[in-house]
Amino acid sequence: MADDVSRLSDELARDPASLAFVPLGEALRRRGQLDLALRVAVRGLERHPHLAEGHDLLARVAADRGELQRAFDEWDMVLRLSAGHAGALRGMGFVCFQQGRLEEAEQYLAAAGAANPADEGIVKALTNVRAARHHEPPAAQPPEAPDAVEGGSAPLDDTTAHDARDVPVHQAPSQPVPAHDAQYLFTDVLEEGDQTALLLDRDGLVLGGAYFDHAGNDVAQEVGAELSGVTDAARRATRHLALGDWTSIVFETEVAVVAMAPSSDDGLLVLATSRATPLGLVRRLLDRCAQHAVRWLGERAA
Amino acid sequence: MSSSFSPMLDGLTRQRGVRAALVASEQDGIVVDSSLQIGQSGDRVAALAASLYRKARLSSRAAHLGAVSFMQLEAPNGRLCAVGAGSLVLIVVAQSAANIGLIRVEMLRAAAEIPTLAGGGFA
Repeated sequence: MADDVSRLSDELARDPASLAFVPLGEALRRRGQLDLALRVAVRGLERHPHLAEGHDLLARVAADRGELQRAFDEWDMVLRLSAGHAGALRGMGFVCFQQGRLEEAEQYLAAAGAANPADEGIVKALTNVRAARHHEPPAAQPPEAPDAVEGGSAPLDDTTAHDARDVPVHQAPSQPVPAHDAQYLFTDVLEEGDQTALLLDRDGLVLGGAYFDHAGNDVAQEVGAELSGVTDAARRATRHLALGDWTSIVFETEVAVVAMAPSSDDGLLVLATSRATPLGLVRRLLDRCAQHAVRWLGERAA
Repeated sequence: MSSSFSPMLDGLTRQRGVRAALVASEQDGIVVDSSLQIGQSGDRVAALAASLYRKARLSSRAAHLGAVSFMQLEAPNGRLCAVGAGSLVLIVVAQSAANIGLIRVEMLRAAAEIPTLAGGGFA
């Protein structure tokens, strides 16, 4: 496995746009290196936001980290990208069971079983969930996470193995604005893996986007908290100096250039890029992110 | 009354398009010394600029991005620039037409002198 990680890391280093991030993240997850696996998955999804396997990987990493709602949201995205994905259905069943939503867990697992009838793990999990729902002995065991069942399907492989036509159309529980949609707000706008963008409200609370540090941790909330009040301070400064409405704040750090622009309702858009990014490109990216944020906020308000 | 910072600040305000140059405490925005070509309160400019710079520094720390070297706020009629030096921050107010690249270089050079000029008291 160590060889696999090394080989896949090398492959990804040679070609950052490679899909090798999926098996690499999975290998790291299996080794218990969850922070690193998370970083690999998120970075990969920044380049391939519509790759079902990538979201499936992120969901499994999130489930291992105990972030069940995030895992659910990611599997929900997998289903949007790949209808009837057995691994996603089974994972959502797992999350619902863990959250005590037994009826939904049964529905997801039944759909997963229909998508992959040969998977005995799904059948067993479905039996347990039904027993729990109807208080039947034996005492129910929770369905296992998608890859944990012996002989179970490898969700990555399932993506290509299942036939979506055999599966009933799946309807996830109502979620007007899935959290992960907001987190990937700027993935289509940003050009490189070393760029990250974040949209904050007037109080510094995260509206959308993400802010990853060098270790791949999303520190959006911490950054937002520290930047709370920037819009107001900038407005007062420019008013006092009669400079007109402020258009941007740019600051350079040891490893990054951070650019900020005002957003709707006293919000703040924050973009971070590497120091190697030319300042002119930073400004263009900031403008594009700002336009994207305005559209997104407009759609949400509609 | 002049301070050890005065020659440095005067040098900055001689740059084309620079309206004011100040040294202030980053923590509370209190002016240590200033060279103003504009008839307005340097205290308020320093307080607001120091506040912005502090927020930038703290957000950079939260994101593990390292120390902040240069910050600029841009508006249609001018710019507000800041460079940190220990517990002090060097602030420049410039017109929009000013050569910001040159001002940036001069500010970074001046900020490097601040610990010496401060005699170790602020750095």
